[in-house]
This record gives sequence, C-alpha cells and structure tokens, in this order.
Amino acid sequence: MAAPLLFLAPALVVVFAVLIFPILFSLFVSGFNWPLSAGMGERSFVGFGNYVELVHDPEFWNSLRLQLGFIFIAIPVELVLGYGAALLLNREFFGARVVRTLLLLPVFFLPIISGMTWRFMLQPRYGPLNTLLIKLGVPEVTWLSNPTYAYAAVIIQDVWRMWPFMFMLLYAGLTNIPNELIEAAHIDGAGFWRRQRSLIVPLLMPTILTALLLRIIDALRIFSEVYVMTEGGPGSATLLFSLFTNRVAFGYAKVGMASAMAIFLLILSIVFAATLVRRNMSLDVLEEKAGGR
Amino acid sequence: MKRTALAILLSVLALGFVAAQTINVLLWDDPYPKALQQMVPEFEKATGIKVNIEMLQPPQVYTKTSVAVGKDSSDYDLVAMDEGNVPIFSSLMTPYSTWPAGKKFPKTDPKTVTPAMLDVGMWNGQLIGLPINGNLYVWMTRKDLIENPQYRKDFKAKYNYDLGVPKTFQQMLDMGTFFNDRGIAAGFGPFNGGPAGVLGEAIFMWESYGTTFITFANGTYKVTLDKDKAVQGMELYKKLMTISPKGAETMAHVERQAAFAADPKGVFSMFIWPAQIAAYEDPDKSLVSGKIVYSAPPTGPAKRVAVRGTWALGIPLASKQKQAAAEFVYWWASKDIASRLVEANTVPARTDALTDPKFAKSKPWLAAIADSMKYATARPRLKEIAQIQDVVKKYWIMGITGQMPCPDAVDAIMNETNAILAKAGY
Repeated sequence: MAAPLLFLAPALVVVFAVLIFPILFSLFVSGFNWPLSAGMGERSFVGFGNYVELVHDPEFWNSLRLQLGFIFIAIPVELVLGYGAALLLNREFFGARVVRTLLLLPVFFLPIISGMTWRFMLQPRYGPLNTLLIKLGVPEVTWLSNPTYAYAAVIIQDVWRMWPFMFMLLYAGLTNIPNELIEAAHIDGAGFWRRQRSLIVPLLMPTILTALLLRIIDALRIFSEVYVMTEGGPGSATLLFSLFTNRVAFGYAKVGMASAMAIFLLILSIVFAATLVRRNMSLDVLEEKAGGR
Repeated sequence: MKRTALAILLSVLALGFVAAQTINVLLWDDPYPKALQQMVPEFEKATGIKVNIEMLQPPQVYTKTSVAVGKDSSDYDLVAMDEGNVPIFSSLMTPYSTWPAGKKFPKTDPKTVTPAMLDVGMWNGQLIGLPINGNLYVWMTRKDLIENPQYRKDFKAKYNYDLGVPKTFQQMLDMGTFFNDRGIAAGFGPFNGGPAGVLGEAIFMWESYGTTFITFANGTYKVTLDKDKAVQGMELYKKLMTISPKGAETMAHVERQAAFAADPKGVFSMFIWPAQIAAYEDPDKSLVSGKIVYSAPPTGPAKRVAVRGTWALGIPLASKQKQAAAEFVYWWASKDIASRLVEANTVPARTDALTDPKFAKSKPWLAAIADSMKYATARPRLKEIAQIQDVVKKYWIMGITGQMPCPDAVDAIMNETNAILAKAGY
C-alpha cells in the first residue's frame, strides 16, 4: 500500500510545490491587506474584504469587460483566418513548405517586440501606416490616442501575432483527415460549404477546441504587448484585466487585492476550460457526435 | 612543492576575493547615473569597494525597492528614491544624521545641496536620503525660430509685441499658435505619457493658476483644489493641445524627443527634465543641438512654477554594508565628481557645481536650472499617490482632449481623489 505512494511522492511534491502551493499562497494573501512594501504599513487580515472591494470597483468591471471583449473578438478572428489559411495551404505546390513556414513567423515574435513594433507602426507622423495614409491623401490617424482605435489596435496586434498559431494547429488537424473521406463527399455531390459543415469541421472539432482552449488561456494572461503599446490607455480604454492586476499589485502596492484578482482570473480560466472540455471534448460527446454522422 | 605553492596562491586569491567589500546599488536609468557609472572604477580603485549597480526604469525602481528592501533584510545597500516615494520608504531607511563618517571621503554636508532639492530627501523633519540630482522643469525654446527676422516681423505685426522666449502662458499660446498655424513648427510639446508625468503637468498648470491640488495640514491630507482655477488651467492646456503635434494625446518622453529634436519641423517650446538635455544637445541624435534657449518655465496668471522630480539616495536600515554605501555616496556627491557630471551634460544637486562660472558658456542650461530652482514645486507626497495620479491622468487626458468637459473632469478628479483619501483614513 505504501509503495505506490512512495513512488508517487517525488512527483506529488513537485506538483504541490510548483502548482498547488502558489495557488494556496495567493488565496491566503488575498485575505489580507498586504502592502507591497514593508514601509507602507503592517499586514492585516481582511477576510473577503478584498473581494468585496473589487466587485464595487468600476475599474475592475471595466477591465473584465475589456478582457472578455478581447477574447471574444480576437480569438474568433484568429480562428477564421487560421482555418482559411489551413484550407488554402493543405495542398502541395511549389514552395508550399516555405510559405507555410513563413506564415508562422509572427508566432515567434516576442510579445514585447510585437507590441513595440506595432506601437511604432501606428505612430502619428513617423509610423509607416500614417505615412501611407498621408501619401494616399488621407488624413493621418492618431491610432493609439483614440479609445476605440487603441482597443482595436491591441486586438489587431494580437490577431496578427497569433492567427498563425491557429493555422499551425488546424493545418496539422487537416492533414490527419483521410483524403478518401473528402473525395467520397465530393463524389456524393457535397459542395465546398457542405463539405466544411458536415465533414471537415466536425472531424476537426477536437483540434479546434484544443486550439481555442490554449488561446483563451493565453489571452487571459496577455500583458506585455499591451503594456508596451498603450500601458492600458488612453484613459482606461485598453486596461485589460491582467494590466489592471499589475497596476494594483505594483502601482498601488496592494498585493492582497491583486491576489484576489489573480484568484478571480484562475476561476475564470477554470470556467472556460471546464466548459470547453466537459461539453465538447469528453469522449462521450465526441463518440456521440461521431455516431450522429 | 609546486602544488603547495599553487594551493597557497589560490587560497590567498580566494581570501582576497571574499574579503573585498561589495555594495549593491539600485538606481534609475537615465543619462545621469550612466555618466556616473563610467567613473565608478575610480572609486573602486581608491577604496577597494566593489560597486554593483543595477539601473531600472523609474516605476521598476519603486517596485524593486518595495520587494527587495524590508525591515530585517535588504538586497541593496543603497537605493535611489524618487521624491514621491520618500514617504513610503522613509521607515526603512537610515536617517542621514546617523550615516557613518567617511574613511576616504568626507561626509557630505547637506548644505552643499541646492536648498530647493534638499527638501526632496526630507520626511517628518528628518533627512532620509541625500538628494543627488537637480531635476526640475526647465523650458526649451527654439532659438532659430525666435531669431528669424521674418518670423519676428510677422509676429510683431500680428501680436504687437516681440517674438522671444515665452515669459507668460499667454505668450506661450500666442507664439505657439503663430508657428503652428503657419506650418513652421508645432506650437507646444505636451507630456501625456505615464501617470507621474501627467500629474506633473496638471500640478504645473494648477499651481501656475494659483491653486494647490493636495495639502498636508494638521496631520492629514486634503484636496484643496479651487475648481474655477483648476478648470482654467485645464482649459489652457486644452488650447495648447490644439497646437501640439499629432499624437499629442499619448506623447511620452520618446515621442516628445522625436517631435522636438528629430522631426525637421520640430516643436517651438516645451518643458524638459534636465536629465534629458544631453540627448537634445547631442548632434548625432538631435537636429536642434545648439539651437535651444533654456529658461525657467513661463509664468501662469498666479505665479511661475517649476515642477520638481529629483532622486534621493537612501541606505536601508537592513543593509550590512552601511559604511561602504555611505562612502560611495560621499564620493558621488563630492565637488569633483559633481563637476565631472556637469561636464557630461548632466545635472547634479550641488550648488557649487551648478553655479561654477567655468560652465557658464558651455552649459547654458545651468543658469536656467538655477533660475527654475527659485520656483521649485513638489508633487503631492503620500503613499496613495500612485492611485491618485492614475485618477488625474485618466480625467486630465479626457478633459484636455475634449472627451469630457473640463469642469466635469476636474469634478471627477476631486471626487475620486477625495474618495481615495477618505478610504486611506485621512
């Protein structure tokens, strides 16, 4: 009885140390008024005080709204682009490998470099985008100074950088669909859209859901690229949840409150993951879907 | 025999390595500490103290100090504190009066520090850290523009007074509008970057209009902004925004420098932190090197104001190398090093270095800095300043860009700041 536990112990210790303990510690800290610096006063237990304060803070809800908006706009666009490109490039032609490889380049950009690059590209007067507009006779636009444009710019930057990630996964999924199935559908008279709707998308669903799950988790943590592009501004127009958490922790020096936000983010991630995994990726559901076809 | 000799030699070397004193120093990243860093090997050679300098952007200096300096332990033996953060770290720092005497360099007399800067290191009546740089608003005006005979003639014809360095806000607006409307140069270079900088601009306008944002009296902080005056200040800034370069709504230091010194049109007039003068006067980086007149900021309707942004050096109570850290500060703050820092186009806090006649011609900004120091004004210093400056930035930008009427923006600033102060127990 003890032997299996003994063998499992090292792994359990590692899992506890790197996964469970930080979460428990965050949970513990979230119950305190915990200043970042010892110079700002003593720590004091506040129970659920930080959580109560958070839900009464309009900036918290604003940042959550922006974060969810970001996820629900950027990721579907990335999915559509990635899917389209995967369909287009799921064939052999001269230079196909090179094209497929080049398409992946943005994914390898460090987020902070991507943010900086976009910030300079969107710069009034000096940015290439405005230079182009001016040459076309269109008035230059101060992209990052306008709340709506700035939010759109943050989303566009993410789409540019991450749609190849979707492409990569979906292309890999597409190559695993047997050609015979597609040819059979073709012979049966299924047109392009019918083939997508009834054959390719259902077969690709586990890959799509995996890609969505990975991207959602990643998008919930987006930080550095937005930080260097806008620092959350103008005003609070791009103050996504992660940026607000950082501001609360290191700007306002409220570590307890920031930990409460981190716990909230964790719960949000679990809800997303559980919804996607339980409803769509369980074996029962997949078998049911396959049987239904 | 050889092996024994080698072992002894290695032991001696190892002992020497362990015995050498090392201090860890946390500084902000700008040309001033960078210029100092070039000279540090001389200090190391003179004292045998090794200096590990870590330079970070100002917000990161605050964060790093917060997590690395505690009551019982400290990763650093010397830290730079931005003046707004002195109250936060004051309880963790060794009061200057108890710093040990120098063994190699004499303890710096605080009287050598320019009085306007010395206040920066003070908290609760004690000198917590030694102010080390002379950073406050200095005004830059394009000499080539104000000396152009045609522009002078046209300006006089339109405004009925001489073109020159703007002495008042009205002149700043008139001259800026003149150059902007003719497409010669942008009229003004605002600062709308980080919250601390935006707060500086708001304080500059409000104080110039005769109203103080937050006052500390009877042991508590209160918002003491006169709404009418605050709105007037914001309205003027809003007018200045209309003669500013495109993208002024988010202009931080990088964009300001690009607009003023790298754009062929450039900017007529704006403030600068003296720490950045070196970049504007570098002919390799700047199109306007040698073409700038430096002065104190223009006078507002109530008074002339120069917002201060100085750093003070503090030795953590928990440092185990107080003697070595103090020695380093005494060396840094000495007349010799201060003069060499002036030569490197940076601005130390020592009065005798700033007013040294030998720099009068080659460093024309020094006279302007000395003049500005007469009007030095601090930003509010309290622990909740980060939250407050976020509020100010949010509504200030909304007000000056027309997203919100200025009176509403000022109301929002006052109401939300009051709420922060009330919550903090003031």
